[in-house]
Amino acid sequence: MPRAGRIALALTALTAAVLLPQVAGPFWTGLVTQMYIFGLLALSVDLLLGHAGLFSLCHASFFAMAAYTTAILQVRYAVPTALAAPAGVLAGTLLALVLGLAVRTRGVYFILITIAFGYVVWGVAHRWSSFTGGDNGVTNVPFPAVGAWRVESHTEYYYLVLAVVLLCALGYRILVASPFGLALRGIKASETRMRSLGFACGLHLYAAFVVSGALASLAGVLYVYYNRFVNPVAASFPVSVEAALMAIIGGTGTIVGPFIGSWIMLGLRNWVSSFFALYASVMGLVFIAVVLWAPDGLVGLAGRLRARAQKAGAG
Amino acid sequence: MLATRDGIRGLPRALAALLVALGVGTASPAHAQSGPIKIGLLPPVTGPLATPGRDMVDGFKLFWEQAGYKAGGRTVEIVVADTTCNPDQALTQARRVVHQEKVQFMVGPLCGHEGPAVAQVSKETGVPLVMDAAGADVITKWDRTPTVVRTAVSASQIGHPWGDYLYRELGLRNVTFIGQDYTWGHEVTLGAVRTYTELGGKVAKIIWNPIGTRDYGPTIAAIPKDTDGVSAVVVGVDRVRLFEAWFNFGMDKKLKIFGGYWLHQDVLPQMDDRAIGLIGNSLHYAAGLETPENRAFTDAFARKHKRLPSWFAESAYTAALWTKTAIDSINGTVEDRAAFLRAMRTVRVNAPRGPVRMDEYDNPIQNVYISRIQKIKHPLLGDVLTNVPFKTYEAVSQFWKWTPAEFLKRGPYKR
Repeated sequence: MPRAGRIALALTALTAAVLLPQVAGPFWTGLVTQMYIFGLLALSVDLLLGHAGLFSLCHASFFAMAAYTTAILQVRYAVPTALAAPAGVLAGTLLALVLGLAVRTRGVYFILITIAFGYVVWGVAHRWSSFTGGDNGVTNVPFPAVGAWRVESHTEYYYLVLAVVLLCALGYRILVASPFGLALRGIKASETRMRSLGFACGLHLYAAFVVSGALASLAGVLYVYYNRFVNPVAASFPVSVEAALMAIIGGTGTIVGPFIGSWIMLGLRNWVSSFFALYASVMGLVFIAVVLWAPDGLVGLAGRLRARAQKAGAG
Repeated sequence: MLATRDGIRGLPRALAALLVALGVGTASPAHAQSGPIKIGLLPPVTGPLATPGRDMVDGFKLFWEQAGYKAGGRTVEIVVADTTCNPDQALTQARRVVHQEKVQFMVGPLCGHEGPAVAQVSKETGVPLVMDAAGADVITKWDRTPTVVRTAVSASQIGHPWGDYLYRELGLRNVTFIGQDYTWGHEVTLGAVRTYTELGGKVAKIIWNPIGTRDYGPTIAAIPKDTDGVSAVVVGVDRVRLFEAWFNFGMDKKLKIFGGYWLHQDVLPQMDDRAIGLIGNSLHYAAGLETPENRAFTDAFARKHKRLPSWFAESAYTAALWTKTAIDSINGTVEDRAAFLRAMRTVRVNAPRGPVRMDEYDNPIQNVYISRIQKIKHPLLGDVLTNVPFKTYEAVSQFWKWTPAEFLKRGPYKR
C-alpha cells in the first residue's frame, strides 16, 4: 500500500477509536476496551511467537501475577494506583525473569515447560486461598486514581487504555525494527547460523522473554482495573492458549494482527453467543479456516489479496 | 448537479433527524413504566456446567409460562445471556444485558466464581441482582452489595445441618470427609465439619479432590480403616466417578457412605439401582418432597421436559416466583430499584422447596432436607430414581445456631 494510503487508513482507524465511546453504548465501549487489553496480551505473546519463534503457553501467568499484585495492594493495603500499578508490572516482570529459564529449551520442550509453569502459577492462585481469595478472587478493585486525577467511568478508562495501547504499539514497533528485533528474527530463521555469526542467542531469547512478560504484565494491570476483580481464571491455561490463538488468527509477526485476532475472538464469543449456543464451534471453524487458507493470519491474507490485485492491475 | 447540492443541503437535516432519533432513544426509559419488564437471566448455557445451566433456564421459563409472562400488570421479557461458567464472560454479558438490553434486573449466575463478577456489575450500575444458584458464602456475609439479594442458598447453610445429622442421627463419631477442592466444596464440607466437631465428633480425615478428578481409587484407598462413616461432597462429573469407584472397589460391603451433596436429580439418570437406599443429599430442595407446591411444580416440569427437576431448576423457578411476588406487591414499578429490593427482602413465598423468606443479610431462611434415593412410580415418567426427604431441619439460617456477629467475626471457611 502506498504510504499516503497507509497513513489515511491509520488516521481513519484512530478517529474511529477516539469517536467510538461517543457513538456506541457503554457495552461496546467496554467490550472494545477488553479487546485492546487482550490484544496487548496477544501482542506480548507474539513477540516470542512471531519474532523469536518461541511458542509460549504461560503468558496468563504474568498477566495474572500483575493483576493479583495490583488488586491485592489496592484493595487490602489501600496502596494508591501510582504505586500499585507499577508494582503489578514489576511483579509480573520478576516472574518472567524466573520463568525465562524456559528459553534453555526449544520447540516442543519449550511449549511443555511453559505449560507446566502456567499450571504452577494457576495452582498457587487457586489453592493459596488465604492470600489470593481462592475461587472468589479479589473483588472491589477501584478505578485507577493518581493524585487529583481519577478515572470516573468506563468511557474515561477506555481512553486511558487506548493511550497506553498506542504507546505500547509504538514502542513495540521501535523494538522489533531495532537490531535486537532483527537478531530475534535471525534466530527464528536459523539459530545455528546466528550463533556462528557470534550472537548470544540464549541471552537474546531470554531478554525477549522478559520484555514479553513485562508487556503481558501491563495488560494484566489494565485488565484488573477494567474488570474490577480478579480470580484464578485469569491465570488459567485457556487464557494463555487464547492469547496465542489471537496472534495466529490475526497474523503473527505484525502489530495489528494480534489486535485483529482479539477483536475476532472476543467479538465472536460475546456477540455470537448471544444468539447461537454453539458459538464455540464457530470459533473452532474460524480457526480451522485460518490455518488452512490464511496461515499467515488475516493480515497475511490481506497482503496476499492486495498483491494479487496489483498483479492483475499491472497485467 | 442540482441533486447533489440538494443532497448536501439535506445532510444537516438528516443528521439532525438522526440526533433527535438518538435523543428519543435515550429518553425512552422515562416512558418505560408502561413497557415490558426485562429480566436478564445469566446461566452457563455452554461450558462445564451446561447441564445445570439448562435446568436453570427451563425452571425459570416454566414459571413465567405458567404466569403468562405477566407481573405487576406488565408483560415480562427474558433475555438469556450465556456466561459459559467463566467470570470474564459473565462480567461482559452482565454489562451487555444492563447496557444494551436495558434489563430492569438480573437473575443468576450459576457458577460460584461468577458470583462476585456479576455482583460487581450490579454494584457499578445499580441494577439489582437476584443471585440464583451461585453459593459463595461471602456474597451474603463479608462482601455484601446493597443491590444484591440471594434467593437460592449459601454454601455452608446446607453443610451445618449435615454435620449435626452425622453426629446426632447417624451416631457417627469418626467420620472421613470427601470434599471437592474449590470454594463451594470447602464451604459445604467445612460447615459440616464445624457443627460435627462442635458436638464432639472426631474427624478421621478430610480428603480433597479437585473438580474433574478422573480416578477415585486413591481417594478410597486413603480412607482410614477405623473410620465409622464417610461423608461425600462432590459436584459435576465427579459424582458419577465416586459412585462407580465406591461399588467397583466393593466398599459398599465394608463401609457406609453418606451424601452431603452428591446424588442430585440431574445425575441420577446416569446411575442405577445400586443408588437405592443411599442418603443422597442435605439440601434445601429434594424433588421427592410431598407438598402440593412441589407436586404441581414437578408435574409441570416433568410434563414439559420429560425429567424431574434438579435443585438448579427449582432454584430458578423460585427466583422467578419470588421476583413476581415482589413485582406484584409494588404494582410493577420495578424502575424504582429501592422499592423492588425492599419488596424482594420482605415478601414471603411458598416455593416448591417450602416456605422461604429473606434474613437481614439477604440470604433465604429455609428448610434443609436430608434425603434418601428411592425408586418411585411417577405418573408421567414411570420408574425413576429420586431424592425422597425423610428428615427436615426447619427454617435454617445461613448462620445456623450462631449469631451473625459471631459467625462474621470467625471469617470464611477455608481449607
